[in-house]
Amino acid sequence: MNHTPDSTTAVGNGGNFDPRQAAALLDQTTQQTRRKLAPAQPWLLTIRAVMVLAVLGACWLNVRGQHPYRGPTSAVAPFVVVFVIANFLATVTVRKRATAGVSGKSRLRPWEITVLTLAWIAVFAVIGALAGTGVSPAIVYSLIPLTVPLILAGLAWAGINAARADWRPCGAGAGVAVAGAVGLFAGPAGAWAVDGAGLFTVLLGSAIAIVWQQRRSVVWP
Amino acid sequence: MTGELDPLIHVPTRLKIVAALAALPDGDALSFTRLQDMLRLTPGNLIIQLRKLEEAGYLSTEKTRNGPAQKTTVALTRQGRKALDAYTQALRDLLGGL
Repeated sequence: MNHTPDSTTAVGNGGNFDPRQAAALLDQTTQQTRRKLAPAQPWLLTIRAVMVLAVLGACWLNVRGQHPYRGPTSAVAPFVVVFVIANFLATVTVRKRATAGVSGKSRLRPWEITVLTLAWIAVFAVIGALAGTGVSPAIVYSLIPLTVPLILAGLAWAGINAARADWRPCGAGAGVAVAGAVGLFAGPAGAWAVDGAGLFTVLLGSAIAIVWQQRRSVVWP
Repeated sequence: MTGELDPLIHVPTRLKIVAALAALPDGDALSFTRLQDMLRLTPGNLIIQLRKLEEAGYLSTEKTRNGPAQKTTVALTRQGRKALDAYTQALRDLLGGL
């Protein structure tokens, strides 16, 4: 083995360093670092997938028998509000902890934040434009707010990550946009079920992809 | 062909440092304190190892001052990434021949 003695190895490193130990240490350190620095944690994505399916599924059960469509009753509103707040807080907390001390290109750049902000502003522009043209309130105030944000935010996220050549989040963004687009054709009641199933699939798929990426060996790819 | 294991990387502590920094996306840096916390190293030991790797051109450090506090960030250079790739390939060759 070509190992030059090194005085600094005296600090708890030992003398002979076997290549097998080196390979194990390389893989172990890489996998641990990937897990610790991941801004989207698989366990959180899995919980979110189950919660989004439960909440949107409850909304769908609540509205599926309505003729004409009136929207979810106030009975399900607390669940939606709790889900949105809990999801937001958990995401921010986990992301902040994971990316503490990390700086550089993986952080969102000003133009990327602008694109995401414009995507959300566009949602309200679409709603405002449709409301002014006399389209049914079930479409303007239920179907559109449920599907168009997914399409625009999903496309924006996919575009930003395509520019970074980061294909996993790019695929997730495209998946969210597809879920929104399919929901758009499912009608006001059906959109709850389609969006719920679509988001569940994308979130669970992302969690599985992240676990696979984190566990991938660098020594034996 | 079996390559040689880079003696600068083939030391447990330095291998951990290089592996941790290589796990970051290209162009990202990590603060000294987070790196120290993740690898559970003493500041003195980490400084010694970082200095050796920096002298070899494998990583770069940047000091920024924010008021009274000074923050040091560490990143793997392109040369450092290439050295780790070569080291990994040499490991594969060695272990494949065992």
